[in-house]
Amino acid sequence: MAYSTREIDDLVQTTRFHRNLYTDPEIFDLEMERIWGRSWIYIGHESQVPEPGTYMTLNFGKMPVVMVRDKNNEVHVLHNRCGHKGAKLVDLPCGKIGGFRCCYHGWTYRLDGKLLGVPYMEGYEGTGFDKEDPQYSMQKLARYDSHRGFVFASMNPDAPDLKTWMGPAADVMDNLCDRAPEGEVEAAGGVLRYEHECNWKAFIENLNDTMHPMIVHRSVVDAAEDYMKTLPEESTRRDEAEILPPFGQSYKYMEDMGITGFKYGHHYDGGQHSIHAAYTLDPEYEAAMLKAYGKERMHEILSFNTHNTLYYPSLTIKSAVQNIRVVRPIAHNKTIIETYSFRLKGAPDSMLRRTLLYSRLINSNGSMVGPDDLTAYSRIQEGLKSTASDWIEMHRNFGRDEVLEDRTVGKGTSDLDVRTQYAAWKEYMTGAGA
Amino acid sequence: MTSVVTSNESIREIEQLLYKEASLLDRPDLDSWIELYTDDGTYWMPAIEDQEDPLNHISLFYDDRVIMEVRRRNFVHPRAASKDYKVRCSHIISNIQVTEMDEKTGNCTVTSNFHCFMYYRDKQTPYAGKYTHELVRDGNGYKIHHKRVDLINCDAALNTIIIYI
Repeated sequence: MAYSTREIDDLVQTTRFHRNLYTDPEIFDLEMERIWGRSWIYIGHESQVPEPGTYMTLNFGKMPVVMVRDKNNEVHVLHNRCGHKGAKLVDLPCGKIGGFRCCYHGWTYRLDGKLLGVPYMEGYEGTGFDKEDPQYSMQKLARYDSHRGFVFASMNPDAPDLKTWMGPAADVMDNLCDRAPEGEVEAAGGVLRYEHECNWKAFIENLNDTMHPMIVHRSVVDAAEDYMKTLPEESTRRDEAEILPPFGQSYKYMEDMGITGFKYGHHYDGGQHSIHAAYTLDPEYEAAMLKAYGKERMHEILSFNTHNTLYYPSLTIKSAVQNIRVVRPIAHNKTIIETYSFRLKGAPDSMLRRTLLYSRLINSNGSMVGPDDLTAYSRIQEGLKSTASDWIEMHRNFGRDEVLEDRTVGKGTSDLDVRTQYAAWKEYMTGAGA
Repeated sequence: MTSVVTSNESIREIEQLLYKEASLLDRPDLDSWIELYTDDGTYWMPAIEDQEDPLNHISLFYDDRVIMEVRRRNFVHPRAASKDYKVRCSHIISNIQVTEMDEKTGNCTVTSNFHCFMYYRDKQTPYAGKYTHELVRDGNGYKIHHKRVDLINCDAALNTIIIYI
């Protein structure tokens, strides 16, 4: 069926949404067109294209794009398609080139996408083909911009500027970067790519779902606590012992973390404290931070402890851990989640090692945390094939969230995060927010 | 890499250890598997080809004995949703080569190729790659000091890897 705007509007209501949002490939196609096509989507970090000619490729919704740094050190986000027959111009995850050259007929392009050379031009003379016509160059995405090195792009020429779109949620990305003594971060230690057999929304709805960790992650918390208490107390302090057990925190603890939602579907949980707040402060790192910022500012930076922050729909970051996860939807029932770790410039190497330990221990395909989350997502994907009910509820703390001027705040176990996402979903999908 | 010359007897002994480890992972029996490792033993599955370092680059697995012990307990916990399903594997090991041998201690490095079919959650997944075992003498036998598992598709978008390969 083809959905009318009215029908789409009906699929998301104040405290429930329709199961077709997970199960219907047609809804998925519309989401790629209207959410991925209208919002700002995370591309990558500028440090992943460190010098002229370096590039990285990705899928923007369904479309192949490439982020590349040109000769003037400017970073571009281009459609990865030859202006001639349409072949993908670069097909590796990343690399370095002098310019683009098509593998098929050898058309060449500058690093900013402008068409340079077409072999044996004589055949085109007098045919109406004009090499200088911009339609034959690599096309730039309608908009691209960066915040503290994090590059986003939009297919929507009318999208609000990146700063407006991020709004006050940018505080968390700023906090991630401010945690570096030099005030900058860089991607380091590679990427984990994890195939999820679920709808992309199952993943992002879980980010601030604080009612699941004590259930889903009970086993690894028990296993870690049971074993670690058998270890002699004088044995070396282990980061694992600080990272794993907080996943078993009580409802009360989660409630007190709080959730904050923003315009355009962004939200985070935590702030004053989070399950990442009690990590031991590395003395060498503390000294570097103290030197860079002074005591008061350092304290301010390190006491802003969020858990997961979503920049709807494609990026979630953990400022206190210094890793991010990127949502790359493939189909209504398939999503790839990429985990990148970041180095705090000016911090000791031990900080990056802790970030990588976290990524491996919590987010890896072989970890004891991510696979339990994924089991729940994929069971949702299967369960929603049932016609028992067409609706998924999101009532928790409805009517009790506090609406402030630029944000909505609620208790940590509120469904405020999901309601925030679906308000944005509705606006993008019905065209009201475009 | 070339194989160093060793006696038939020691090659047989090393092969038997690799086969034993593989059969314990086939079941999988982590209680017995963990006993094959030294107290300072480690298990590493890199995330890229020729990865040099398990700590300064992301890995799929890098477990020391402490995390092995946590994993062993987690694997049989009644409330681990991802462990509700039977895991059955079939490992085949071949191309076994002893690439380093300390004649004095008997400690050695052994490389081999493996194919592992893993059945989990109604799906059978083939894994293939290369093992590198660092073995140390322990009384009359050997223990595993370090095992490295290089999947040929380590940098692909993989699904859950529910158990050691």
